[in-house]
Amino acid sequence: MRLARDEGSFADAAFDTVYLGGGTPSLAPPEELGRLLAGARTLLGARPDAWITLEANPEQVTTAACAAWRDLGIAAVSLGVQSFDEADLAFLGRGHSPEQGADAARTALAAGFPWVSLDLIYGLPGQSEEAWQRNLETAAALAPHHLSCYQLTIHDGTPFGFRAARGELAEMPEPAQARLFSLTRKSLSRLGFPAYEVSNFARAPELRSRHNRKYWDHTPYLGIGLGAHSFAWDARGARRWWNERKIRPWTAKVAAAQRPLAGEETLDIAALRLEALLLGLRTAEGIDLDRFRERYGLDLAAANEALLARLTAEDLAERAGSRLRLTPRGLAVADGLAARFTVA
Amino acid sequence: MLPAPPGGADTTVDQIRNFCIIAHIDHGKSTLADRLIQRCGGVEEREFRNQILDTMELERERGITIKSNTISLPYTAPDGREYELNLIDTPGHVDFSHEVRRSLMAAEGALLVVDASQGVEAQTVANLYLAVEYGLEILPVINKIDLPSADPERVMEEIDSDLGLDPFAAVPVSAKLGTGIDELLAAIVERLPPPGGDPDAPLQALLFDAQYDPYRGAVLLVRVMDGRLRPGMTVRLMHSEAEHRVEEVGRLRLKRVPADELVAGEVGYLIAGIKSLAGLAIGDTLTAADRPAAVPVPGYREAKPVVFSSIFPMATDDYEELTKALEKLKLNDAALIYEKDSSAALGFGFRCGFLGLLHLDVVQERLEREYGLSLILTAPSVRYRVALEDGREIEVDNPSYYPDPAAIRQVHEPYIRASLWMPERYLGPVMELCRERRGTQPTFQYVAAGRIEMTSELPLAEVLFDFYDRLKSLTQGYGSFDYELIDYRPADLVKVDILVNGEKVDALSQLVHREFARPRALRYCERLAKTIPRQQFKIAVQGAIGGQIIARTTIAPFRKDVTAKCYGGDISRKRKLLEKQREGKKRMKIVGAVEIPQEAFVAVLRADEEEA
Repeated sequence: MRLARDEGSFADAAFDTVYLGGGTPSLAPPEELGRLLAGARTLLGARPDAWITLEANPEQVTTAACAAWRDLGIAAVSLGVQSFDEADLAFLGRGHSPEQGADAARTALAAGFPWVSLDLIYGLPGQSEEAWQRNLETAAALAPHHLSCYQLTIHDGTPFGFRAARGELAEMPEPAQARLFSLTRKSLSRLGFPAYEVSNFARAPELRSRHNRKYWDHTPYLGIGLGAHSFAWDARGARRWWNERKIRPWTAKVAAAQRPLAGEETLDIAALRLEALLLGLRTAEGIDLDRFRERYGLDLAAANEALLARLTAEDLAERAGSRLRLTPRGLAVADGLAARFTVA
Repeated sequence: MLPAPPGGADTTVDQIRNFCIIAHIDHGKSTLADRLIQRCGGVEEREFRNQILDTMELERERGITIKSNTISLPYTAPDGREYELNLIDTPGHVDFSHEVRRSLMAAEGALLVVDASQGVEAQTVANLYLAVEYGLEILPVINKIDLPSADPERVMEEIDSDLGLDPFAAVPVSAKLGTGIDELLAAIVERLPPPGGDPDAPLQALLFDAQYDPYRGAVLLVRVMDGRLRPGMTVRLMHSEAEHRVEEVGRLRLKRVPADELVAGEVGYLIAGIKSLAGLAIGDTLTAADRPAAVPVPGYREAKPVVFSSIFPMATDDYEELTKALEKLKLNDAALIYEKDSSAALGFGFRCGFLGLLHLDVVQERLEREYGLSLILTAPSVRYRVALEDGREIEVDNPSYYPDPAAIRQVHEPYIRASLWMPERYLGPVMELCRERRGTQPTFQYVAAGRIEMTSELPLAEVLFDFYDRLKSLTQGYGSFDYELIDYRPADLVKVDILVNGEKVDALSQLVHREFARPRALRYCERLAKTIPRQQFKIAVQGAIGGQIIARTTIAPFRKDVTAKCYGGDISRKRKLLEKQREGKKRMKIVGAVEIPQEAFVAVLRADEEEA
């Protein structure tokens, strides 16, 4: 942390959110987490009232642990429930049972956290619409504040990718993926969790993730630990840098009192526009065109007039006042659409 | 060094022989030419190779291709008499038949090369007819007698039956091994006639070829029919009416050798400060400005392009490169014509006219190979004559300029007489092919046992589209084909447009005979549907005549294409993926908000492979 503080961009920062995630921080004893948070306050300048989120696995969510976390000032927990289906959990290699997942949610809510979110994964090979629908209903019935539902994509070079390459599993066909994607939005909306981003759903606007939003709108953030990314504006423009992802090089550098950087990049205006575009298109609110022009110096609508006319006609995008947003159908193909916009 | 040229003051026309070599491709024309050069030059093979290669390399550096091998050879006969043998090169394809005719005009004799194993081929016959038409003395040469598969007796039979020549007059040679070359040279001086012509008559010289020299400009290859051609005189080109002052004349050895004059009967070159080949018409007649000949050499025909296509660079940025390349190409390809063209879909390019499909291929290949360009060529078109209701008559070779059908009274299209040679067993399929292509008036004739010549009158337009490939495929390579333009006939023509999401892709419009409109449109649509990547919305690909849709395919959209997780701060990775994806789109053309990759145009416009 001391090393991270040396990063000039954050010298005077007053962090108003802290996120403990990546890996399984709930495995760390509360004392350890306490030291970490104390360091964040004293060394990095996290505000005393900072909104702290903890990622937790159901196995570690006990009444006692919740009380300890509450004492540390942790306001939000994001639970890696993944599924309420036995077979899904086995496929994903999770150590907890469907019951444990539900119990963890109930325990955390009972502990009085003002924000409890459940992480779910869908689109597993062979998953039926009915099975996923039951999952969503179970999750909603637990009445958390927030849900994140990630559709499984199988990438080459990942464990699932290797299994797919060996023919042990097959990615769900695209039409079925599209149906599940649409089902998720519709069901959760009906169950009281309208979508505010491709994979994120909240019971109310004020219950949207306070921390993730920052990644989406170029708010500076400082990442600490293995593979963590940071972003900051500076005199030259904007910069993103990231830490070593493996423990050995990371500890070696830290032991030598060096920042454990693996890489960094300067973002020119084109890169910033592209990120703002791709991230903005993913949100339910869409892109505020006035704000986009002020911040990134481009009239996005004027630069993409013909495209927008077509996307509107095809019911993929819509204009609402100064906002440009994708329709549910558009959201399902947001990546491809982002690639089509002119940002020059 | 070559021996001193025998030309000049001591040479009389009796000592000159002007001849060309006519042969089917691969029958060994250039090897034979090389062998004659080598034998007459009296140089060692290694030295010869070096000389030839050096010249070629030099020329390559200067950006010229060796088109013409016209060369003067000093030859000493066994009886000690010295001769000047002028070997006049002829281009080897039907597209250049006009140029072939000019070359033949410059000669008195022709060596007709027949491959000892393959025998008489279509092209051999066509060229022979031409040569006979021009009154040339024909000397048959049976080449490649060294091949194990050589069958000189059968070939002699063919020379007799197919060509109507005396088979016993044929000289058997192996150009590769040098066998029979001395006999051939002896036969050339004995059996081919010397040129005629009157050295004291007004100058009349036939321009039969031209080369481009980056330092000297146009180098005109001429055959002096009458009179004398000297440096310092002013010559007039009788058809183009341009006048030039002659700087240098001379003979064509391996290099140009200047001379004091060229007299009637001689073949040589002339340099007159002409900057490019662009304004020169092969077949034109040079005469003296102060003492002109009464008439030009007969048979002049303007080399008229008959096939038209627009050439666009694959990458729009390459337009400048293409412009430069065409300018350079035009310097030594007088038959190539072009003008600026533009397409909403493909950007800026050029509308080009070609002598035929092969000429088009040659130009495309040279642009791609010598200038490193990647090109898209629109569907080749012929030039239609369109009579309008208001009484005017216009010519249209570009679908973009095709008038509103309501304003058209009648369209005429060029017809050809195609001659097709094939083994008898393929007659059925070939007749069917001609019938499919609106062929009429078929005639059949046995040219040899089992070998048939068929003629048919066809619209040229129907031959442009994969006809030759189909013929080759139907006859398993044994069929060959030649054609001549005959006349213009009424055509029931329509303009077929291709629409992507309702917007016209101008580069894909084409003029088609009505009965072929629907299948052609459907094929285009299907190919586009195969090559345009899926997009986020459904794409309709349609073929239309005016407002009427005659073919339709659709491309299903992507339905799911979005990354689930986009946080944890690692936005860079996602953005880089996107940047890569966008890079790939740079080469795409946008029509109706649909991204069409260049490959789609190439696939659609490519000659038909599946059907071949």
